[in-house]
Amino acid sequence: MRDAYLVGAGQSDYGAFPEESYRSLFRTAFEAATESVPNGLEPSDIDEAFVGNLGVGGRQLGLSGPAVTEHVGLGGVPCTRVENACAASGFATRQAVQAVKSGMADVVLAGGFEIMSDMSSDATKYWLGVSGETEWERLSGTTFSGVYAQMASVHMERYGTTREQLSQVAVKNHANGAKNPHAQLGFECSLEDAQSAPVVADPLNLYHCCPTSDGAACALIVSEDVVDEYTDDPIRVAGVGAGSDNVGLFQRDSYTGIPASQRAAETAYEMAGIGPDELDFAEVHDCFAIAELLAYEDLGFCETGEAGQLIESGATELGGELPVNTSGGLKSKGHPIGATGAGQVVEAFKQLTGNAGDRQVEKPARGLTHNVGGSGGASVVHIFEREERNSSRNSSGHRPRETEAETEVSAR
Amino acid sequence: MTAITGVGAYAPRFRITADAFEDAWGQFQAAGVNEKAVAAADEDALTMAYEAGTRALEAAAVDPAEIDWLAFASTTPPLAEEDLTARLGAMLEVDETATRHVFAGSTRAGTRALWAGMDALASDATTGLVVAADAPQGDPDDGVDHAAGAGAAAFVLAAEGPAKIVDRSEYAVPYPGTRFRDSGANETQGLGVTQYDRTAFTETIGGAVSGLEAEPDVEAAAIQAPDGKLPYRAAGAAGVGTDEIQAAATVHDLGDLGAASVPVSLASALEDGYGSVLAVSQGSGAGADAFLIESDGDVPTNAALEGDDPLSYAEYLRQRGVVTTGPPSGGGAYVSVPSWRRSIPQRYNLEAGRCPECGALSFPPEGACSSCGALEEYESVQLSGEGSIEAVTTISQGGAPPEFAEQQARSGDYAAAIVALETDDGSEAASIAAMGTDADPDAFSVGDRIETTIRRIYTQEGVTRYGFKVRPAE
Repeated sequence: MRDAYLVGAGQSDYGAFPEESYRSLFRTAFEAATESVPNGLEPSDIDEAFVGNLGVGGRQLGLSGPAVTEHVGLGGVPCTRVENACAASGFATRQAVQAVKSGMADVVLAGGFEIMSDMSSDATKYWLGVSGETEWERLSGTTFSGVYAQMASVHMERYGTTREQLSQVAVKNHANGAKNPHAQLGFECSLEDAQSAPVVADPLNLYHCCPTSDGAACALIVSEDVVDEYTDDPIRVAGVGAGSDNVGLFQRDSYTGIPASQRAAETAYEMAGIGPDELDFAEVHDCFAIAELLAYEDLGFCETGEAGQLIESGATELGGELPVNTSGGLKSKGHPIGATGAGQVVEAFKQLTGNAGDRQVEKPARGLTHNVGGSGGASVVHIFEREERNSSRNSSGHRPRETEAETEVSAR
Repeated sequence: MTAITGVGAYAPRFRITADAFEDAWGQFQAAGVNEKAVAAADEDALTMAYEAGTRALEAAAVDPAEIDWLAFASTTPPLAEEDLTARLGAMLEVDETATRHVFAGSTRAGTRALWAGMDALASDATTGLVVAADAPQGDPDDGVDHAAGAGAAAFVLAAEGPAKIVDRSEYAVPYPGTRFRDSGANETQGLGVTQYDRTAFTETIGGAVSGLEAEPDVEAAAIQAPDGKLPYRAAGAAGVGTDEIQAAATVHDLGDLGAASVPVSLASALEDGYGSVLAVSQGSGAGADAFLIESDGDVPTNAALEGDDPLSYAEYLRQRGVVTTGPPSGGGAYVSVPSWRRSIPQRYNLEAGRCPECGALSFPPEGACSSCGALEEYESVQLSGEGSIEAVTTISQGGAPPEFAEQQARSGDYAAAIVALETDDGSEAASIAAMGTDADPDAFSVGDRIETTIRRIYTQEGVTRYGFKVRPAE
């Protein structure tokens, strides 16, 4: 099977933009993505597009994919809208990788967008938690803050995880987001701020919850046959994995882990032929502070039950052993549902190309993105690896490509 | 002959005192009411009827399938049109072929239902269930509202039993304007012509009692109680002393229970073991029903009339929805009424399914087995309504789906849990999401024991959907 490469990625700012439409935000992301391709990429090069969108507000529920790809001039290129809740564009990225690996396309756009801020707060609430199990979970009075709070309640009870550890996630991600010009909540917060915020769903308070956001993000995935046209320093999609599960938390075997994420990570690590120890950074799905802690465990960054100690140790801070959510994460950068997964890929691209500014991880070779739909009904993990061929910059930490290809084959 | 074989009674946990009204208004217009029960935001006459009805069935130790005659009485049915006995019967697991009646429009409705039940048993019914539930409401500055309480009582009827209804009589004569509610209105009102109202009350009560074959000589008298004074004014007309009225009175602690006033007092008197009880209801219009009950003093009773959760007057207005604006408009998540109806066996009766392949329980019983993945027809298993909390949170303002915004505005933060509901023998359980009720959210923690009850879940498109919630186990 052919290899797939990430040659460009870009995003709009995340935030509340009454002057922008979903189309204009998508255009911003699309232009940023094409402009980020080192040797340039023309829209006419694109063979196929996958666009993630939940459709909050119901403004273009049907055909929302073509509605944005035609707007940016992709003129007739087949576009598929992907809906997997908050993991929509993580899965759009996976679809792009599949299209390339299958040989059906050489250049594929994977993107996503969402507008969440242009409605009354009451109307917005009707759209929160719509990806939870509707008949029982929602009608027990929960949106996702409640469902994740239930997970937190069990994690705290079973493993001694503390509110302070939840707050440390917020402090870390805000510290990173303050260094990201695209971030919606790009300010630092103190542990005291994070501890004293109003409660939303006990034990989660406002600082343990991500905001609602407008935004768009795009990534460009190409085949090994054409990658050299676009870059001299290719970033290979080394691993990809995904999983599904029951939509309602009450239907699942575990309340303290997300089996779909565990499955996605296992598949992605196996394909990449690496383990979590070999990652240099990760963008994980921190819609709520507890979600980041669960991700630490589901992705193998620590043992089950030890996520609280991991955040406390500082290992996941910028400059730590494994920086997590250098972009600020969903918490600080923002969470425009359909755009979030592609937006994580944007951060991975920036880090691996050395363009992450003040939040740059030192010479990273590999990064992981982790995008969860709902409370774990869908999850997708990508591992990106910088593959150095022609450049003498950044020469550390990666293996010859031939070896990796063999690993991949043997792993499947 | 008709007899009462089991009694159930229920009052909500919330109480507001006369003092709280006095603080708010500078006066309290319901003489003789010390405090009264207040229905929670997720309660109404139908849920209170379920609470009393299920207790009566339990007390009588009767299989709900044996009930062939069911009556629901209230001046405040949650719908003015739609036969609520269909839902009430399903909640109580009464057979679909049972005869059903709704009685409304008068505070006599509860005893009219009892009357009709006697007639039915004299005809071809074998086991009847009479349920009276009410939560009157008036304008906030009116005496009707100051007195208005909330409560329910239910009686299982059979030809023979420990409490025999030995005589009955009724009487009606026109007295317009004493207590009425216009079509479409929620608030009951009265002209407040003091002496005229008293005359209407005592004349009709006297008329009904004088129709009994013998002068009543009873230990307790359950007299209609629009407030805490009026029943005592009717002592002479009813031929009883004030001590006998006092013996059965619930108005002082629960307030005006409307159509459930005499039924709850009668339930209370039977629970207390009185041997002879006179029960006289009165309804505006005006008319009265009188019954003479002779008990062996040992009627099976399951009454939950206690309550100690105090409300301030502001909380009272919130809880009753007087100062809230209703749910926000919008769309998003949507459960159609037909979808909801399909889940009624689970919402009301906790019907789970057993996987024929691996034997694991699933709730709701649909889709592939969560244990082994088999996609087979489940074998129906009814869960017990008892279990424990597996995961829980307290939803604060802002954390609720908008469907629950009105409820939260009225009743505040609530618990939302995942609970493991157990089979009858407690050896197996199935997990399901459920809202907490009947206690502060702090009362729900991982590992705690819970039991189910039926409450209003939410109202959309004008249709209130009822289903189980959980509360701390008794």
